[in-house]
Amino acid sequence: MGKKVLVVDDDPDVRLFNVTVLEENGYTPLVATNGEEGKNLAKQEKPDLVILDVLMPRESGIRLYRELKTDKNLKHIPIIMLSGIAEKSFLRSQKVLAEFGDTPVPEPEAYLEKPVEAEELAATIKKIIG
Amino acid sequence: MKIKKLLFVTKFEELGFDALQSLLSLREVGLEHVVFVNIIERERVAMRRGTGYSKEAEIRLRETANIRFIDWAENLFEQGMEVGAYIVVGSLVGEVIKAAQKEEADLIVVGRSQKGVIEQLYAGSDITELLHRTSKPVLVYKYLSESSFALEKPFESPILATDWSPASMRAIDFLKELKGIIQKIHVVHVADQKQLSGSAMAIQKTRKKIRAKLDEICKTFEAEGISASPHVYIGDPEQEIEKAARECQATLIVMGSSGKANWVERWLGSTPRNIAEKSDFPTLLIPPIKL
Repeated sequence: MGKKVLVVDDDPDVRLFNVTVLEENGYTPLVATNGEEGKNLAKQEKPDLVILDVLMPRESGIRLYRELKTDKNLKHIPIIMLSGIAEKSFLRSQKVLAEFGDTPVPEPEAYLEKPVEAEELAATIKKIIG
Repeated sequence: MKIKKLLFVTKFEELGFDALQSLLSLREVGLEHVVFVNIIERERVAMRRGTGYSKEAEIRLRETANIRFIDWAENLFEQGMEVGAYIVVGSLVGEVIKAAQKEEADLIVVGRSQKGVIEQLYAGSDITELLHRTSKPVLVYKYLSESSFALEKPFESPILATDWSPASMRAIDFLKELKGIIQKIHVVHVADQKQLSGSAMAIQKTRKKIRAKLDEICKTFEAEGISASPHVYIGDPEQEIEKAARECQATLIVMGSSGKANWVERWLGSTPRNIAEKSDFPTLLIPPIKL
């Protein structure tokens, strides 16, 4: 079985695209449709990588990212942010939350702005988890 | 009844980002999370007779909404807020209710109903239907309506129009939670002229009785540190509430919503619905608790 990659995205087309790229490259995809589901699945399955959207129902990728990066059992899991939200806004939001008293978190292993080509996504995943 | 999460339902024409920004004073009293909702009504993606449904039209409408929401979300994320979004094809009220339940939202913000008089008579108003199907407070927001002014602080000076119903009593609890952003509340009751038959003495007695009940409500606000004043009006509730809002220079009208059956409201109307749809003032409607 290939390495487990958790895809967290509310858009079914994006989930399908990510799952196809993962399967074609020998990884095992896990799928969640919002931040809350993603958090539960990450705790249960301890994936090797998370591909995370930002703007989602129930819980955003901003909050899930913080939760993953501050959980002692999950913070080692690399995260690729894949979103229509600009990287600059993502980083600024994390900085603002840290200024409000939340724990500072490191930057993600990669940040890809949607839409992304299959080759670019596959190459980014390979670079991070092999 | 703290407002931690609000659902901002928009068709973009009537409620834009400027309207949303004017509601962000709610952050001072606990607002953390804004969820954008855009419902693409089925008629907009239906093709001409016999040709079915247009996927292309749906994609275009979805992506147009998505582009706006990304822009708004970036702005709110950068302020440290939590943001979510729904772009759904379906019926407006049904999808708003579903999103409000999924998100466990504390407040639903909508624009004025766009339906015409005849359509409302037969199909009902979106606002009436929404209030009948949810126990969440609904803010009918008119940010830049034709004859109104842009509001920077919509919660600063509300009038609470009470008819002593359970829903209007629930509105008191809701307003108490906003004490950090309310400067003054005007508590108003409109008495029916029919209540005032008899001698001048009898009429004055009725006024005194109403005033005493209003004073009690004001005391509960004052106990929370919110300045409040009572006002008695006589006449047609719809006209008098509007008059009171103007005289008090109110920024918002707050009312309990009617417990009347949906069909009764559709044919006979109701004061909260009429004010929500016709008044230039933003109107916050608090439904009774649904059992």
